[in-house]
Amino acid sequence: MSGRRIVITSGKGGVGKTTTTANLGAALAKRGKRVILIDADIGLRNLDLVLGLEKRIVFDLVEVAEGRCQLRQALIKDKRFDSLSILPAAQTREKDAITEEQFSAIVARAAEQSDYVLIDCPAGIEAGFRNAIAGAAEAIVVTTPEVSAIRDADRVVGKLNDRGKPIRLIVNRLRSEMVRSGDMLSVDDVCEILAIELVGVVPDDEEIIDTTNRGEPVVLDETSRLRAIYDKIARRLEGEIVPFTSFENQGFFGRLIDAMKAG
Amino acid sequence: MNGASQSHPQRYSEKDVTLLRGRRKGLEVALAGRELGQAFDELEARLGERPGFYRGTSAVATFGTTHASVPDLSRLRGILASAGIELRAVSGSVEVGEAARACELAFETPAGPSDEHELERRRALRPRRGVKLSDAARSLVADFAGARADIADRRRRGEASVPRTDPSIEPAPPDAALAGEFAPALHLVEAPPSTLYHAGTLRGGQALHYDGNVVLVGDVNPGAELIATGDVLVFGRLAGVAHAGAQGDERARVYALDLDATQLRIATFIAADGENRPARTNAARPEAALVRDGAIVVVAFDQLGALERGASLS
Amino acid sequence: MHELKATRDEKAPGAAAAAAKLGRAIVITSGKGGVGKTTTTANLGTALAQRGARVVLVDADIGLRNLDIVLGLESRVKHHLLDVLDETVSLDDALVPDKHSETLSLLPAAQAREKEEVDTEKMRALIQSLRERFDYVLIDCPAGIELGFKNAVAGADEAIVVCTPEVSAVRDVDRVVGLLGNRFKPQLIINRLRPQLVKKGKMLSVDDVNAILRLPLLGVIADEPEIIVTTNRGEPLALRKDAPTGAAYHAIAARVAGEDVPAPMPHLKETFLERLGSIFGGKRP
Repeated sequence: MSGRRIVITSGKGGVGKTTTTANLGAALAKRGKRVILIDADIGLRNLDLVLGLEKRIVFDLVEVAEGRCQLRQALIKDKRFDSLSILPAAQTREKDAITEEQFSAIVARAAEQSDYVLIDCPAGIEAGFRNAIAGAAEAIVVTTPEVSAIRDADRVVGKLNDRGKPIRLIVNRLRSEMVRSGDMLSVDDVCEILAIELVGVVPDDEEIIDTTNRGEPVVLDETSRLRAIYDKIARRLEGEIVPFTSFENQGFFGRLIDAMKAG
Repeated sequence: MNGASQSHPQRYSEKDVTLLRGRRKGLEVALAGRELGQAFDELEARLGERPGFYRGTSAVATFGTTHASVPDLSRLRGILASAGIELRAVSGSVEVGEAARACELAFETPAGPSDEHELERRRALRPRRGVKLSDAARSLVADFAGARADIADRRRRGEASVPRTDPSIEPAPPDAALAGEFAPALHLVEAPPSTLYHAGTLRGGQALHYDGNVVLVGDVNPGAELIATGDVLVFGRLAGVAHAGAQGDERARVYALDLDATQLRIATFIAADGENRPARTNAARPEAALVRDGAIVVVAFDQLGALERGASLS
Repeated sequence: MHELKATRDEKAPGAAAAAAKLGRAIVITSGKGGVGKTTTTANLGTALAQRGARVVLVDADIGLRNLDIVLGLESRVKHHLLDVLDETVSLDDALVPDKHSETLSLLPAAQAREKEEVDTEKMRALIQSLRERFDYVLIDCPAGIELGFKNAVAGADEAIVVCTPEVSAVRDVDRVVGLLGNRFKPQLIINRLRPQLVKKGKMLSVDDVNAILRLPLLGVIADEPEIIVTTNRGEPLALRKDAPTGAAYHAIAARVAGEDVPAPMPHLKETFLERLGSIFGGKRP
């Protein structure tokens, strides 16, 4: 049976798509799933950096599409997790170097050899975005609880709806103190606006910056609370009902919050 | 297939060769003629690169005519002890002997010139010891092995990563030089390959492909690609990917003032620096990368001459 | 002031524009999303306008517009860039005057349209006509390096790149600088610096960033929660001239205008300031 093909997208740049793809992939691999991560951001590739695998790149997505090498030759095994591999994007090319059909075909081939294919989508809603979602059967939209990010996410949800793919939501970089003081939207507010199934809430954590700079997914760090959170997201994706722990309890306008919606 | 692709370029410099040596029994820390403070820093750094590797061995420190005081010996002993190495004895001048006694260290009279000579001779005869690879390195080697085979295969099929100047010339199979029958590969053509001179930094995502040699005055930033059928010389910092001898010339070289490439490729060999490289010092030294004994090695530029004259690499 | 600067230093950014008596068209870009291009555009524009310059901000992020939110003008948007390019509406009708600064206007992006609908030549022509009416045309560039980016850059003759002290951002900005080519000599703003993290070695320093980028540094903005709050509320921090971040933007505005301003970042540590001081003055690090 073919693996699931999920695109991780957002519209707004810089909200944590790549970090989410890397960490969620690692969390799934840790649970024994065979995971292939595909970086669809041609020309601005970062997934390899975030996993510390940039030195191992010999072939890339575009070369696979052009038939200059096999998919398995381009796949790079992760250093730490046996069942995790990545297909890096090309850096010296542009997004028109590949068509939607070519990308879909590659994603399909990857799905044949894995349980999960996670596609790291570029920012925006242009050709790169369209290519990335073409290959996927499901989507995870990542947003931060800020007005501009939510607006962009909303636009993306609209486009995904047009294509009839199931969409789930991850709220990233939540800062509970700011939610409490009314300076940041609550998870509830975000869910209400976007109206899609919530699959994860990730708090803001300054450790992430250092770990992404060093190429070490945060799920490797036993002391990090983010590890448990990405693990929960992985479990929810697998179909488990995992309650959200509440660590915020005030909405933007001070309404009483349904305590289920955080964590 | 072993030795096909070396994953880590080995760095050799004069200081590396002489600071820490193997002897029949344990190690020798060669400090003769060195400035001790700097030598100790270097020793500490080198031992830090492979923690535990020397654990359980003993060492002798030779000072020659260099003066060493009690604090010096204490520091040295401490540095070695941190790496699990016991400082067994020291050798040097009479003052060094006194300092050694004050530290309760055994003192050996220095080896005479004939012993040095003998050591050198034996070293030259000794077979190269295998490099111990970490898990990360081993998986790197495995990754590259397949890639290398594929690049070689593509080359044989006639696909070049750099367009050829004369499409009617067939690429020669690897042993054409021996066979002597086929049309010569480009690097055997009479006219010497041309050299492109480029002044300016190559930014991430930019690619410079050239049929010939490339001299670049500037940096090659991470994410940039410099591919040449001949040699590559970067008068600046090389941080991206450089591929010399892209059509199969294993004699091609990569030179850089500051060699910090994400990946180095020469002909069908690929190498990337080990994951646990110590932090770079600010004073970068010019280095050259070349293929030697089936692997890419990186040599300090001022050592190149010695290497070419046949000095051993261990 | 423009003319004086032009005769003094022909190579200074904006000198050519001043000589031709046209406003300066500056694109604010980065490659990487989320580093603060829009916030920078809004704040720099506000600071320049507060100094009395006539400024127009152009939101080139068609389909994902955000400049209006950051300025608090989203309820006042009636027409947009594409309407003007298609000539269904006049420029005057589309321009939205800013709430806080008299000489500042916004040309919003369309929300329900696509970047592919922008004609590059028409975009160039529009920017040119804006330059005839305004001292500064700041173009907020979308993330990425696709068509949206190319169109945003098309009309500009100067560029400011915004980068955060993170490895992926630096790589992306480097790519963009390469793509900008020889036509531009971009200047750099480093955003979201956290001096405490830099000190702990958990974040890149200004030097680390510029060791790769090697661009003249316009300014460094330290990260603070205030920034998110004010963008959510639509009140650019540059309105608060005396607060550290507001002051930083005003200093950047002064430098853009050609003044030689020493680093005004009291909230950063002393040694940090010294290092910055040696980098300022337009010298390459």
